[in-house]
Amino acid sequence: MRITSSMRRGVLIGGGAFIAAAVGLIGWRAFVRNPIGAHFYQDSFVRGKAEEWTALGGTWELMNGLMRNDSDERGAKLITGSPRWRNYSVEADLSLLGQGDAGLIIRSGREEEGVDAYSGYYAGIRTIDDSLVLGRAEHGWREVTKKASIPGGIQPFARYHLKLLAYDCQIVAAITSASRPSPESIAITDPDCVPSGRVGLRSYRSGGTWSNVIVRPVDHDDLMAMLSNETDRGVRAPGIPPPSNSAFAPLAPLPALRPNVHVESIESLRLAYLARPAEATIRGVVILNAPMLFVQDSTGGVYVTQHQSPALKVGDEVEVTGMVRPGEFSSVIDNANIRVLWEGIPVAPVAVTAPQASTGKFDATFIEVQGRLSAKERGPENTLILDLEEAGQSFRAIMNPGRSAYVFDRLKIGSRVSLRGICVVDPAITNNLTPFVLLLRSSEDVNVLAGPPWWSTGHVLAMLAAILLLGVVSVFVFQRVENWRLRAVLDERERLAHEMHDTLAQSFAGIGFQLQAIRNNLPEREATIHQQLELASNLVRHSHEEARRSIAMLRPQSLESEDLLSALDLHARRLVEGGSVRVVSEKTGEARSIPLRVADTLFRVGQESIANSLRHANPSVLKIRLQYDENSASLQVEDDGTGFIPEDISQGFGIRGMRRRAQTVSATFHLNSTPGEGTRIEVTAPLPPRLTFATWPKFLSKYLMESWIHARPSKLSNSHSYRG
Amino acid sequence: MPDLRSSPIRILIVDDHPVVLAGLTSMLSTQPDFDVVGSASGGEEALEMLRTRTTDILLLDLRMPGMNGVDTLLAIRAERIHVRAIILTSFETDEDIYRSVQAGAQGYLLKGAPQSDMVEAIHTVHAGRRYLPRHIAARLAERIMRTELTARELEVLHMLARGLTNKEIGNALLISGNTVRNHVNSIIEKLEVSDRTEAATTAIQRGIIEVPT
Repeated sequence: MRITSSMRRGVLIGGGAFIAAAVGLIGWRAFVRNPIGAHFYQDSFVRGKAEEWTALGGTWELMNGLMRNDSDERGAKLITGSPRWRNYSVEADLSLLGQGDAGLIIRSGREEEGVDAYSGYYAGIRTIDDSLVLGRAEHGWREVTKKASIPGGIQPFARYHLKLLAYDCQIVAAITSASRPSPESIAITDPDCVPSGRVGLRSYRSGGTWSNVIVRPVDHDDLMAMLSNETDRGVRAPGIPPPSNSAFAPLAPLPALRPNVHVESIESLRLAYLARPAEATIRGVVILNAPMLFVQDSTGGVYVTQHQSPALKVGDEVEVTGMVRPGEFSSVIDNANIRVLWEGIPVAPVAVTAPQASTGKFDATFIEVQGRLSAKERGPENTLILDLEEAGQSFRAIMNPGRSAYVFDRLKIGSRVSLRGICVVDPAITNNLTPFVLLLRSSEDVNVLAGPPWWSTGHVLAMLAAILLLGVVSVFVFQRVENWRLRAVLDERERLAHEMHDTLAQSFAGIGFQLQAIRNNLPEREATIHQQLELASNLVRHSHEEARRSIAMLRPQSLESEDLLSALDLHARRLVEGGSVRVVSEKTGEARSIPLRVADTLFRVGQESIANSLRHANPSVLKIRLQYDENSASLQVEDDGTGFIPEDISQGFGIRGMRRRAQTVSATFHLNSTPGEGTRIEVTAPLPPRLTFATWPKFLSKYLMESWIHARPSKLSNSHSYRG
Repeated sequence: MPDLRSSPIRILIVDDHPVVLAGLTSMLSTQPDFDVVGSASGGEEALEMLRTRTTDILLLDLRMPGMNGVDTLLAIRAERIHVRAIILTSFETDEDIYRSVQAGAQGYLLKGAPQSDMVEAIHTVHAGRRYLPRHIAARLAERIMRTELTARELEVLHMLARGLTNKEIGNALLISGNTVRNHVNSIIEKLEVSDRTEAATTAIQRGIIEVPT
C-alpha cells in the first residue's frame, strides 16, 4: 500500500511537472516566435523577410525593401500583430501604384478575404477625390472622408506618410508628404468602438507599396498631441459614404487611343512574322511583371523584353510596340515600347492539367495547374524552385524570393498543391529538364490542397517505432507494477509472521510453561490429572510447533540472492536435522533467472511438499530436483516413503493449497503416489522466453496477451493463498 | 544434577510477552533449586534490576520492542555486570544465533523446549559451560563458516601482511589488480575491519596468519 501510494504520488508529481514544463515551453515559444508579442513592432521590410504577415487577397511581395501589392483587387489586406493590442498607433510610408486608394488598418479582427471583410478601422489616401479617408469596417463600411489639401492632390507613385492612432474610442489619422510637411488629419469618435485588434496594410482598386511600418503603444498625451494638429474638427462620427466614393467612380480621363495604329492579336504574331521579323503592335494585359514581363490577350501570351516603361503592374492593360521574334510556341517582342492604356483587373488563369500544359499550347499564358510536390530547392540568385508531378508529367515552378521564402519553407514534400503562374516552355528557362516551367507571381499563387499523405514511409516507420516503444514501455511498467505488488505481498507476509510470532507462538509457549508449573506442583498420586496435564502439554507443544512452522512458511526467503534450489535444500536439511533422512538435490538444464513471483511460488510449493513428506511419509531419501527448460522451470520433490492413494487425499487442504498456488503463475501441478512406493510431486511453471534480438517481438506479443489473460485470475487466487 | 542445592540459582526472566513471563515464572519457581528473583518486560527494566539484585542466570528473549536481546547483552557487558545469559526465543535465524553468541550469550534455547532441557540448560550455564542444542550449534558453525576466508583470500592476506600493494599481489598471483582489490574488500568485510592495515593486524592477532618474517 505504501509503495503504491508513493508511486501514485510520484506519477502525479512527474505528470504535473511535465504539464507545467510543456505549458511553459509552449508559452515561451509562442512569445518568442511572435516577433510582435510585445506591444511594439517595426518593420522597414529591408531584411527581406516578412513571414509574420498574413495576406488576404492581393499579390503581396517584398521588392527592394518595400512591401508591394501589384494587384488591383478591391480590398487586398496584409495583417499582422496581436488581437489584444488596444491603444496604439501605426504609421508607414506608402505610395499608390495607380488610381485607387491605399492605407493602413488598425484594431483589425475577424479578417476574411473580401472588400470590407474585417472588423476595424481603416485610414487611406484616395486618388479619385484627392482625399484622406477614415472609417470603420464591420464586414461593411462606414466612413468619414476629408479632402486633403495637398498641392496637386493625391498622386500615384508619390510618397506619403500616414499615421493612424487608436486610443479608447477615438481614432485619428494624419497624413504628411514631402510637399506638405504639416499633417493633414481627421478624427472620429466611435461610441461603440472595436476595443482591440491587429494592424494591417490595405489597398483598394490599386496596387501600392508600404515601408517603415512602425507600431507603438500610445497614451492619452499622444492622442491629444495628434488631435491638436487636427484640421477638421467638424466630423465626429462615421457616417454614410458620400456618393463620390463609390467603387464605380469615374477614373482619370483615358489617354487618347491612336486609331491609326494597326493592332494585331498575339496569336497571329507567331505565324505572320515567321519569315521576316518586323515591328508590330499588340494590346493585352500584363500577367507578370517580374522577373520577366508577359502580356496576354484573348488569343495568347507574349514575352516582352527590354521594355522602357515605368512601374507596370499585373492587370494593367497595355499597348506594346516592338520587334517580333517568333518562337516555337509563342513569340517574343524585343525592344518594346509600352503604353499603359487602362488599369484593369488581372486576367483569370486558365485551369489546365500538367500534360496539357506540357504540349506548349499554353506557352506564355496565365494558367492554373495542380500537382504533387516531389522536391524543392533553391536555385541561382536565390530563386525558389518547386519540382512537381502530375499524371506522370513532371514540371517545375519558380518563385521569387522574399515573402515566398516563408511559404516555400513550410511546403511539405508530398503535398498536393494548386499553382497559378505563367507557363513557359522556352528551353532557356526550362533547361530542358521539364517540358514547361511555371513562373509564379507571388506566394499567394501557391495553394496547398492537401498535406502529404500520413502513410509516407517515414511516418509509418515512426509510428511503428512509437508502437514498439509503447509496447516495451508498457511491458516494463507492467513488470514493475507486478514486482511492486509482489513486494507488497512479501511485506505483508513478513508483517503477518511478526504478528504471529509476537502473539500466537508466545502465548503457546507461556501456556506450556504454565501447564508445566501446575504439573510440577501436583502431588504424584493424582495420576489421572497428571496424564491429562501431560496431554495438554503435548497439545500445546504441538500447536507451538505448528505456529512456528506457519511463521517459517510466511517468512520471505531471500530468493533473489540465494537460488531456489539451494534455498529448498537448506530448508529440507533443517527439517531433517538429526534425523536419518538423506536429502539429495540436483539441478538440470541451463540455470537462468526466474521471475520473483514464479520463484516464490515454486519455493512455497516445494516447502509444503517437503514438510508433507517428512511429516507423513517417513522417507529415507528425499530428492529435490530443479529442471530448467527452454520455456519453463520444473520442480520435483520425490520421496521413497509410505505413499498414499492420491484419490483419498488429493482434496486435502495441503495439496489443494499447493495446486492453487501453482495456478497463480500458470504452473501445472502433478502428484503421483503409490502406497509403499513413495510420492512424487512436480510443478512446471512457464518462464518468459529469453530476450534476444530475434525473439523479442514474439515475446512482446505473447507476454502482452498473457498479461491480459492472467491479470484478473491471479489477483483472485492470490487473496486466497494468504489465508493458509 | 549438579550439587548446588545449598544456594539456589538466582534467575531473572526478561520477556516482553506477559503470558510467557507468567508461565516461565510459575514453572521455574516450582523447581527447588531455582529462585526467580524477578521478571522484566524489557531490556531497560532488566538492566535496572541487574544493577540492584545479584543474579546468576538471565533468561533473555531476543525480540522485544525498544532494547532487544542483543542490545541488552551488549549493555550488560558494557556495564560489566556479572551474569550468565541464556537466550530464550521462539524463533531462530542463523543471524540471531550468531549475533547473540557474539554478544556474549552462554546458552540458546527455544521456547518450545521441554522443561527438562530448560532445567539442564540453566544448570549447565550456571556451572560455567555453554549450552547450545545440537542443531543450533550446527547452524552457528555454518554461519561462522561464512565469514571464513577462502584459500585465495588467505594467500592475498599473507601478501597484504607483508606490505605488498594490490598490483604487486596481482603480479605475484597472476591476476589483475581489480581482482586483488575485490579479494581485499572481501577480506575486510569478513574480518569486520575498516582497512587493509587493520585486516593484517587483526588476522595476525586472531592467528589466521603468522607474523611475516
